[in-house]
Amino acid sequence: MADHILLIDDDKEHAGALKTYLNRLQYDVTIAATSKEVLFHLGDSLWDIVLGNLLINEETASSIASINKQNPMTQVIAFALPNQLDTVMDRFDLTVTCYLELPLNSKMLEFALNKAKKQSLQIQKINRYSERLADLHDAQNLFNQLFDVVPCYISVQNKDLRITATNKRFKDHFGNVIGGHCFEIYKHRTSQCEKCPVVETFNDGHVHSTEEIVTSKSGKQYNVLTHTAPIRNEKGEITQVMEMSTNITQIRHLQDHLTSLGLMIGSMSHGVKGMLTALDGGIYQLETGLNNKDENRVSKAFDQVKTMTDKIKKMVLEILHYAKSRELQYITMDVSTLANNLITNINPMAKNNNVLLDISIPDSLGKIEIDPTWMEAALVNFLENAVDACAFDRKKNKHRVTFKIWEDQKDTICFSIQDNGIGMDQETREKMFTLFFTSKGSQGTGLGLFIAHRVVEQHGGNVKVESEQGKGAKFNICLPRQKPNNSKPNGFPVAK
Amino acid sequence: MKKRILIIDDDPNIIDYLEALFTDNGYGTSSAGDAKEGLKKAKEKIPDLVTLDIEMPGEWGPRFYRHMSQDPELKNIPVIVISGLSGNSYAITKAVASIKKPFDREELLGIVKDTIG
Repeated sequence: MADHILLIDDDKEHAGALKTYLNRLQYDVTIAATSKEVLFHLGDSLWDIVLGNLLINEETASSIASINKQNPMTQVIAFALPNQLDTVMDRFDLTVTCYLELPLNSKMLEFALNKAKKQSLQIQKINRYSERLADLHDAQNLFNQLFDVVPCYISVQNKDLRITATNKRFKDHFGNVIGGHCFEIYKHRTSQCEKCPVVETFNDGHVHSTEEIVTSKSGKQYNVLTHTAPIRNEKGEITQVMEMSTNITQIRHLQDHLTSLGLMIGSMSHGVKGMLTALDGGIYQLETGLNNKDENRVSKAFDQVKTMTDKIKKMVLEILHYAKSRELQYITMDVSTLANNLITNINPMAKNNNVLLDISIPDSLGKIEIDPTWMEAALVNFLENAVDACAFDRKKNKHRVTFKIWEDQKDTICFSIQDNGIGMDQETREKMFTLFFTSKGSQGTGLGLFIAHRVVEQHGGNVKVESEQGKGAKFNICLPRQKPNNSKPNGFPVAK
Repeated sequence: MKKRILIIDDDPNIIDYLEALFTDNGYGTSSAGDAKEGLKKAKEKIPDLVTLDIEMPGEWGPRFYRHMSQDPELKNIPVIVISGLSGNSYAITKAVASIKKPFDREELLGIVKDTIG
């Protein structure tokens, strides 16, 4: 396409000759001889080149001077008589690409036109570049934002496994640690992890994923699902590897909880079935006893129904306790009130099993801050276990459970529960606080002592056990008088 | 003469129940809380039928059954498995029946009657 030239010249003959010459050079030329024409044509269309005598009058001159503002692509070439040239140059300075002396030298004119064209192309190029640069800048901003807001920990690592970049979430949880080794920061290790997905990605260029447990700067442990991806240079060589880790701690906790719930229900179903059958038996004997007016049978059956309903109730409550996690609800209560509640609870069971309760609780033990629902359940559990241990023991005639409470050190209340029942072997001693461990066969859920132990720990206390098989057992439970500061939530995450 | 049923279960409540149920229906009963005691009782006085819980402390039901079936005096005694374990029908294949706790007592009595009259 031919370039458009606006030729400003009030000398008609000169303009006509110039137009003919320019047409021959394949330019499309429009002549403007008056300032009116100049203004009209400048507003009319876009000109590649404006060529001419710019000083034909003041109006023309000022519109040319501002031409770059309207269209920076338009190149201006001025010609003037030798004596006017300085004035023109003073007036237009760099607005004009080339200044030519009249009379025009054809070679000079051609050179000026070419130069104008080249300059115009360069401006076009620069415009394109700056547009791209702006796009690039926007894209970079967007990526930076994405990098920071994605719900993952992202780090970029070099071949030495040193971190070269991290996103905001990473910085928030693991600190600003550019330059450090990933294994130090993520895992507090001193050497590379055994199976490193970053190294694998460096080796084969593929995406690798692993599940890891990492430790944040605050000491919290997170389960993370980690993916690695290669970052390549222009030549396609892997220079760095990006590691993205999604925090799946909550999912894992939930999964653990659900798994153990399922496990629990599975392992307890045998016991539940036995209890239901025994309940059936009680109801059958109650029914036939009533029909035959056999008072003995009725009263025995009633006892059995009652025992079985109590057992089933207890088991269901244990499951509910376990399934539900709630914050501990501390209240301050008298130790003697707590002790009385415990004794009221355990007395009937001890009597039924012919176990003597030997209680020694001094007055004035003061107050203790506990969650009574949980703590009473836990302590009763230890007491019931002691009575059970006696009831299972066939080798001795007289059974006794000794229950003591005292203030140990300042602000520590201790409970001691000692029995002369069957005692425990080493395995039972080691595993008794483990979830689902029971030495009572289908009679036990494996939950009681697990929950009791947890409750004591959550209250900031501890449990010590001494036992020998055949000789009985002694449980010492010590609790701080005041609620601990770093009270743990009352969920029951299960150890792997 | 009354037919005799030997009840083997580790849960005394369930022994109570089965004893009452069988006695009420005209059978004689004896009972044992584990496999060892069960074998001893079976040899003392040979029963006409045995009900057997599979999961018991000491020795499991299947092992009791193996001991029993190796004893020429005992090997022909019919056994009914009464257990809380699921899928128990595979544990003792030669049992005349396998029923699951909690069981339907009419069903149990029906099986007993069909087996020993």
